[in-house]
Amino acid sequence: MDRTVQVLGRQVAHTDIVRVFVIISLSLCCILITAISLAQNTGAVYTQLFYFPIIYGTYFYTKKGLYLSGACALAYEVLSYYYVYPNPVDLISTTAQAILFILVAVVVAYFTEKVNTSEARYRSIFESSLMGIILFDQNSFAIKLTNTCVEDMLGYTEEELRSKTFTSLFSTPEEQRVFFERLGSSADITNFQTRFRKKDGEAIWVTLSWRRVTENMVSTSIIDINSRKLAEQAAEESAARYRQVTENSPTGIVILRDQKIEYSNPAFTQFSGYTPAELAGKDFLTLVQEEDRAEFFRFISTEGGKGDQPEIRECRVITKSGGTRLGALFFTSIIHRGSPALLINLVDTTERQQLKERIQKDTELRHGIISTVAHELRTPLQPIMGYLNLLTQDPKTYGVTDETRAILDRCAKSVDRESQIINQMLELSVLDAGKIPLSYSQVNVRDLLSTIVSTGGYASKGDLTIDAPEETVMDIDESKISVVIDSMLSNAVNYSKPPRKIRVSYQFSNAEQMHRISIQDNGVGITNSQLDEIFEPFNLPAAGSQARKPDRVGLSLSIAKKYVQMHGGFISVDSIVNLGSTFTIHLPKTPPKAAEAGQL
Amino acid sequence: MTKRILVVEDDEPILDLMDLLIRRLGYEPVLLSNGPDALRYAKNDPPALILLDIMMTPISGWEFLEKLRAEPALKTLPVIIFSASPSVEEKMASINDPFLGVLHKPVSFVELRTGIEQALKKQE
Repeated sequence: MDRTVQVLGRQVAHTDIVRVFVIISLSLCCILITAISLAQNTGAVYTQLFYFPIIYGTYFYTKKGLYLSGACALAYEVLSYYYVYPNPVDLISTTAQAILFILVAVVVAYFTEKVNTSEARYRSIFESSLMGIILFDQNSFAIKLTNTCVEDMLGYTEEELRSKTFTSLFSTPEEQRVFFERLGSSADITNFQTRFRKKDGEAIWVTLSWRRVTENMVSTSIIDINSRKLAEQAAEESAARYRQVTENSPTGIVILRDQKIEYSNPAFTQFSGYTPAELAGKDFLTLVQEEDRAEFFRFISTEGGKGDQPEIRECRVITKSGGTRLGALFFTSIIHRGSPALLINLVDTTERQQLKERIQKDTELRHGIISTVAHELRTPLQPIMGYLNLLTQDPKTYGVTDETRAILDRCAKSVDRESQIINQMLELSVLDAGKIPLSYSQVNVRDLLSTIVSTGGYASKGDLTIDAPEETVMDIDESKISVVIDSMLSNAVNYSKPPRKIRVSYQFSNAEQMHRISIQDNGVGITNSQLDEIFEPFNLPAAGSQARKPDRVGLSLSIAKKYVQMHGGFISVDSIVNLGSTFTIHLPKTPPKAAEAGQL
Repeated sequence: MTKRILVVEDDEPILDLMDLLIRRLGYEPVLLSNGPDALRYAKNDPPALILLDIMMTPISGWEFLEKLRAEPALKTLPVIIFSASPSVEEKMASINDPFLGVLHKPVSFVELRTGIEQALKKQE
């Protein structure tokens, strides 16, 4: 931009001032020379001199040049008339000269205007171009010309750009080096991607195309591809990240299109034993064990991951070596490379399944052992119990005194207890094997409690109260819950001394939607450290410890806990040593689904 | 005439005990220690009731029962499974025989009496 000064309230460039000064001086000189030569009548009038200011003026200032030519013509005409009048030949010739001035001005104005118009057009194209354009010198790389697009793109003003070299625009020396290489290799380059540094220091991706417009001048067009490039980079990064995730995933990942494998990750190749190349394009169905195919096919062809949640199926996969491995397959519908595909995530469950089977086998084996042991332990009890019964039933025949009888009764009690422990052990073993189904029915709470109390004869053992509403019913397996309540009552009696105070109460928790049956005693209580242990079978002492564990009745609490868990409930205990314990049975109002209960 | 009760049991001490108990209950015990002998006896001269152990050789109590029920005349003969093995109920449920009862060892004198009386009453 030229420097300007303020003249009469207008911005005027220095060049304009000089030009106007020259033109006016020249014009005045011409008039002066003409006046002198006419006055001295030298006979030579240098009318051609007027052409200098007229052409010069009209070239730069079309309109003003025309006025100037008019002014010059008028001045010349007036002067000539004054000296040549009334010579008609001279009058005609001077008039013709004056008209010629104007004609020359008109011709010059016409062509100048034409040139200006076309230049303005190019200038406007150049300026309004959405492409940045820089002209630089090939030898010094000095920037000669820039358009507004470049200025906007890089954040510099035109002047700042003019003071820089083209090479200083690159963001790194490395980019610069590549640019020199390319510039040296070929005259005209298109779509050279590089990075410029903006005025604020930020790097910007651009693509350059350049060509030599003159011997030393190179014109470069610059397109801002930063956002596209960044998006590309982000996409690449995300693809790389995705690849990294899938390649390192311990989960087998397979992408199917029309059942054919399009992609498989290393975890899947390892699982299947095939190489990625062997898997590519393979029909996934051929990898599925024949028995599982129908189900698998039905699944992928009809339902296959229609919902948002992945669908899960377990199926057997045939490996390359012909073996079978078990996998849990998660199916998800996805868009892969622009069209719908099926994503399968596979978790190797072979070992888990084997472990499950082994545990199941172990449990069954243990159950078998316990059953046999129970049989062997019970059989010899039969004669003991039988003979004891015989002796006490018929004391006279066998000469049993009252004293002996008391001893025999104690023996019989021990046999009962032994027998009970064997039964409980068996029950627990059956529960562990998960073999007992529940049979639910509507049971009146009050009737249930009364029956248990009267059957067990608990009312005679102390002050026993039952607090339960008359009409409440529970949906439970009556026999199982009876056993639970009975063992609680039995404990309450066994772990308290007369005068016993036992309170059996029922409440319904609206918040939890659960029945609560509490059995409260005034017995010895349970210490905190014992609380966790009383539900464990046999209260096994820790290894190396000789300490006797709390002497709760064998296995009854373990069984009670399992029964309640099967119902979807739990047992809680509140206890204060030497003041008593409260066992509360919590049972859900709505029984859990059969499957859930079965897993407990 | 005193009702005869056939006890099929391979455990000697129990057999001795049953002899005493059954007599005391006022029945006539017939004691046999294996299935084939007992089967032969039952076919020849059906008793009023059979007390049947399960774990026996050469044939188990279940096999004995199957062969017994194969005889049309013995289909309603009351049988009480008298066993110490735990899984008796499951098996019984699958057989679904109305003239089949169960007593778990060890059984008390009172339980034995009740069990026998109920079984005999059912048949009448």
